Amino acid sequence: MKLMLKQCLAITRREFYYMWRDKGLRYILLLASLIGLLLFAGIYSAQVLQDIPTAVVDLDNSSQSRALVQKLETAENLKVTARLSNYAEARELLEQGRVVVGVVIPENFGRDVSLSRSTNVAMLIDGSNMVYATNASSAVLTITRTVSAEAGVKTLLAQGVEMNQAKDAYQAVDLKEEYWFNPTANYAYFLVLGLVLNMWQQCCTLAACANIISETGVSSWLQIRAMGISKFKLFFSKSVAHLIVFMVLAVVLYVLCFGVLKLPLHCGWGILLLFTFAAALALHSVGTMMSSLALNAVDSARFGMIVALPSFVLSGFTWPLEAMPHFLQLLVWILPQTWFFQGLNYLTFKNPGWHFMLPYFEGLTIITLVCYGVSTVATGLIER
Amino acid sequence: MKHILNIAYYEVLHILKDPILFLIVFVVPALYAGIFGVVYYSAAITDIPVGIVNQDNSRLSRQVVEAFSHDSHFRVVEKVDTYAELKKGMQEGIVRAGVVIPEDFETRVSQHRSAELLTIYDGSNLIWGFNTRKNMMEVANQFSSTYTAGYLAGLSMNKNEIKNVMDTVSLNMEVWYNPTYSYVIFMFMGLMMMVIHQIGLLSVGLTVTREKERNCWIQYLSAPVSRGKIIIGKCLPYLVMNFFNYTLLLWISANLIHAKIEGSVLCIIVLGLLYDIIVTFAGFFISVHAPNSLQVTRYLLLISVPLFMISGYTWPTRYIPPVLNAIADLFPTTWMINGFRLATVKNFGLAEMMPTIGVMLVMAAGAVGLAYTFRKDRKLSATGLTVNCGNVYPRRAFVFLRPR
Repeated sequence: MKLMLKQCLAITRREFYYMWRDKGLRYILLLASLIGLLLFAGIYSAQVLQDIPTAVVDLDNSSQSRALVQKLETAENLKVTARLSNYAEARELLEQGRVVVGVVIPENFGRDVSLSRSTNVAMLIDGSNMVYATNASSAVLTITRTVSAEAGVKTLLAQGVEMNQAKDAYQAVDLKEEYWFNPTANYAYFLVLGLVLNMWQQCCTLAACANIISETGVSSWLQIRAMGISKFKLFFSKSVAHLIVFMVLAVVLYVLCFGVLKLPLHCGWGILLLFTFAAALALHSVGTMMSSLALNAVDSARFGMIVALPSFVLSGFTWPLEAMPHFLQLLVWILPQTWFFQGLNYLTFKNPGWHFMLPYFEGLTIITLVCYGVSTVATGLIER
Repeated sequence: MKHILNIAYYEVLHILKDPILFLIVFVVPALYAGIFGVVYYSAAITDIPVGIVNQDNSRLSRQVVEAFSHDSHFRVVEKVDTYAELKKGMQEGIVRAGVVIPEDFETRVSQHRSAELLTIYDGSNLIWGFNTRKNMMEVANQFSSTYTAGYLAGLSMNKNEIKNVMDTVSLNMEVWYNPTYSYVIFMFMGLMMMVIHQIGLLSVGLTVTREKERNCWIQYLSAPVSRGKIIIGKCLPYLVMNFFNYTLLLWISANLIHAKIEGSVLCIIVLGLLYDIIVTFAGFFISVHAPNSLQVTRYLLLISVPLFMISGYTWPTRYIPPVLNAIADLFPTTWMINGFRLATVKNFGLAEMMPTIGVMLVMAAGAVGLAYTFRKDRKLSATGLTVNCGNVYPRRAFVFLRPR
């Protein structure tokens, strides 16, 4: 037993040394995720989408039109950055992407409102970027309600309807809005952790993709076999080294994300780390499986990344699973990344508790067992 | 010319003999297009599971529930009757939005007091959150209009009178370029351009490392063939294949995924050609200077996500710090994916695309220039491993661990 432990420790130590000696892998593991974190934190440093650039064309310049412009200036998320003299200019700025919203108030707007005549205000939105478009639309819809209601009330009053009745007609409902789990609708909260852990899972997969091929692909494999060390002992000990590195890296990223960047963490550290360990195991098993099936290390890395690259999009972390076709909603659960990113989102934002998270642990465990099982069979076949 | 074609011919043989490379070049682009196409096929978020807590259970509150039930964006989840159930449903992802109608809702409306509906969005995924908010506002506006029309009808107004009152000021919202808020139009082609980039770099990135690992690179260096011919001969098959993949993905995107690819065909071709040249020659440069195929593969695979995120394709550049925007401008992906959107979604013509094309021309010239930096007369190091890569082979093919 003592000898076995000693052998395992020696192999683990050797694996640490090999990982360090492999310069490419060393830089990837040490730097890729950290650089990713810096980059993504920088990209989303504005955090929320405010001050959407808006152009106003006031062709009327009456007190009523100026009142509307003032409403636009005080509207949530909009910022009037250009006051133009005609529609063509607004169109040009929208096309060039220099403004996202264009508002054109027609001539005689004030007169028509005073005389309770129908008038049209054009509100143009650049829909080419959906992040802008959905926010701009919401802002415009809010203004639309208010302005239409005010004009309607005035018209009713002008027609001799009593004040109370006019107000009642436009009362209906007001909306009080709340964003749960992310009250300020902060994009950094939503994306930075996911993107960083996407880098982390790619690095882990790459490292794990060398697990078996780095032994069986070189001539020293025969020496190791001749020493009488069992394959299980060898790969178990190597895997321990990998998993320690993966977890250390994850802990560093978590400390930076939750401690320094103050990203939201609603669950406890214990369950988070345990879940991350389950994910690390599953990712390692996928990489190990690739390295047992590939003919060389390059192919192994390619196999691993063919899976790892699209997995973030497929995981439903950004584009929701529920919006994908039904068969794909089922299929994506064969990827450990789907279990990981879905579970991570629940843990960090919603903390639904152990009972809810149990299927996520089970899913990752099953993937781990299947992939290590395939690796064992494939390595055994190669030996023959 | 014969030299170039000979080198190109052998490069094609290499691709055909390496089944994984063959798959990566000819199958993976279409595979990724298919996968991402299926992911975004629905294009917009509909059937948002919403929980409605109707604490009032009055005629007016039931009308609110009906308004959500009849809207195609929402799917009202049954059995969410209390605030606690709504909270639990949101926590467990059973519902992604909530509406709470207060107890005295109808009474307050009838007494002309402020009546508020509480609308709740799931902020843990802002794609859910923002889309839900927009759709809820549309439902609320629609409900308000219906309510107002009903109220005015109760004041004995006829249809025309009601219309005139309600249309006093019409604010007509027009969403340009993507009126259906389609995520296929927004995201898909950006991802496809990244696929072209990655597949292009990954395939051409091995063209020299492979020769080094097989100790054949020295033959190229010692052969009486000019640098230019080696570069062009090596790159020619990849230039053709990358452009083939570009057109293939455009065809798949336009015809099968129904992505919006409009605008000038000339612009699309010019952008594709320049992108192809940049990617291929930059890949050759990387391959010349990379130690081995494994390192090339590892590094190149990791760059896709950062390049996509920094490009400003999703999160607008206006909100990204200038230093990161400046860094992003150094990469061809930034210009290509944003330029492609301008050309195909906003229908920019050749004249309007000139800044993008100009920058990409400079980048193409730079990439070709970088590829030409490799020298045939390099000095051999003491170990002799500078030219070729090593002298041991993994199980059946390339080197993994080089002996020290």
